[in-house]
Amino acid sequence: MKIQFRDVGKEFPVRDSDHTFPALSGVTLDVREGEFLTLVGPSGCGKSTLLDLLSGLTEPTSGEILIDGAPVEGPGLDRGIVFQQYALLPWRTALANVEFGLEAKGVPRTERRELARHYLDLVGLRDFEARYPHELSGGMRQRVAIARSLAFDPDILLMDEPFAALDAQTRESLQEELLRIWEATGKTVVFITHGIDEAVYLGQRVAVMSAGPGRIRTVLDVSFDSREGDLRADPRFGEYRHEIWTLLREEAIPVG
Amino acid sequence: MTAVARRAFRASAAIVLLAAVWETLPRLGAVNPVFLPPLTEVLTAWYDLLRTGQLLDHTQASLLRSLTGFALAIATAIPLGLLIGWYRPLAGFLNPVLELFRNTAALALLPVFVLILGLGETSKVAIILYACSWPILLNTIAGVRNVDPLLVKSARSMGLNAARLFQKVILPAAVPTVFTGIRLAGAYSILVLIAAEMVGAKAGLGYLINYAQLNFRVTDMYAAIITISVLGLLFNLSLVRLERRFSTWRTT
Repeated sequence: MKIQFRDVGKEFPVRDSDHTFPALSGVTLDVREGEFLTLVGPSGCGKSTLLDLLSGLTEPTSGEILIDGAPVEGPGLDRGIVFQQYALLPWRTALANVEFGLEAKGVPRTERRELARHYLDLVGLRDFEARYPHELSGGMRQRVAIARSLAFDPDILLMDEPFAALDAQTRESLQEELLRIWEATGKTVVFITHGIDEAVYLGQRVAVMSAGPGRIRTVLDVSFDSREGDLRADPRFGEYRHEIWTLLREEAIPVG
Repeated sequence: MTAVARRAFRASAAIVLLAAVWETLPRLGAVNPVFLPPLTEVLTAWYDLLRTGQLLDHTQASLLRSLTGFALAIATAIPLGLLIGWYRPLAGFLNPVLELFRNTAALALLPVFVLILGLGETSKVAIILYACSWPILLNTIAGVRNVDPLLVKSARSMGLNAARLFQKVILPAAVPTVFTGIRLAGAYSILVLIAAEMVGAKAGLGYLINYAQLNFRVTDMYAAIITISVLGLLFNLSLVRLERRFSTWRTT
């Protein structure tokens, strides 16, 4: 197992009170080496909290998170995060942004440049290396962010609704490209989304979350006989979609 | 008309109009030419001051004070602002005092400076240093504190330590805001300078304005006023240029 969540809980203090708010409770989940796992759930179900814990930016209140069998202790370059809002440094060119993670890793300057170029090329932005983020479209910015996370060669790619802010067409082409990159690099990917279609399209497995407090409800295996052609028109796609939709819908009905 | 000529005309039309009004109103007797002489007479007086070297001496004295105070303010307020902005508890602790001083007109403290530092150069440079420090200090603090938290989060997720985070993210992100403060300070440095030079100075454009007025050399007075406004304009223009060079990326 690459990543193991063992009975993980996270509570946040409520302002001006002694109470705490449980964001996650009893989360147990295994992610396999080289797997593409999508996490889908309603807003407020603690998806992003889960990712923050995995990235080491916050610590769980209970339980433990293991990567390669060792507990997570703070952030590190074995995990790369891609944020919905790109998080590019606006004063750096596309190329310099990709180099940023490599600087953090301590890669020498010339090698840095070479690596950054290689990864910009991988996301199809070879000709845009000198552009600043504000000179790029949303889709291009996200490509740069993905290149940045790939460049320092983490084992795990954590993606927090990376395509949510993009238009439908750009989103689909980036989804396709992400799968291509995943196949080429063999990274373990944990991809958070609130889109059911996106979860089914990308994930080998889909973890469905429920809210209040956030837990893992089910983990679904997704497989198709063939991914050729319009996958979204495959009847199996519709079945998966419906199954997840039903799970999320049950969730939305108040329990009383 | 060529495009360049048209743009030049549009940029200067209002100024030309103002000059024309200044020239004609006193000549027509609409205003008393003793108190407001026509522009051409003022410009003649300005040329005389330039020729005798007086203007240069006064301008030099003024610029020296202004730039010294301004430079000292940059040298002290930026590091101080970075420090205060970086340590949140310190910023919270100092905030009420900063608000108090920010809202106290610098010139209200001029008599205090004179009282403590005397009438010489020290008190003049000190009041300019003081007035210029506030916009730089407050903008630097704001610049550091308002860095996009997502950028900080992203950098932290890559395992950057505090020092590297500061150097690679906080500092560059704060540069445009700091520059806004520097530009404001540039304007203050001229503003406060003139007032300071009206008290117990023996040289400087503020002194020249005051001295000319007391001796009823009205044309000289206006000549000095024009000099100071052109000086302020040029100073601001060069700071805006500099600011643009350092923050080309802030155009989102």
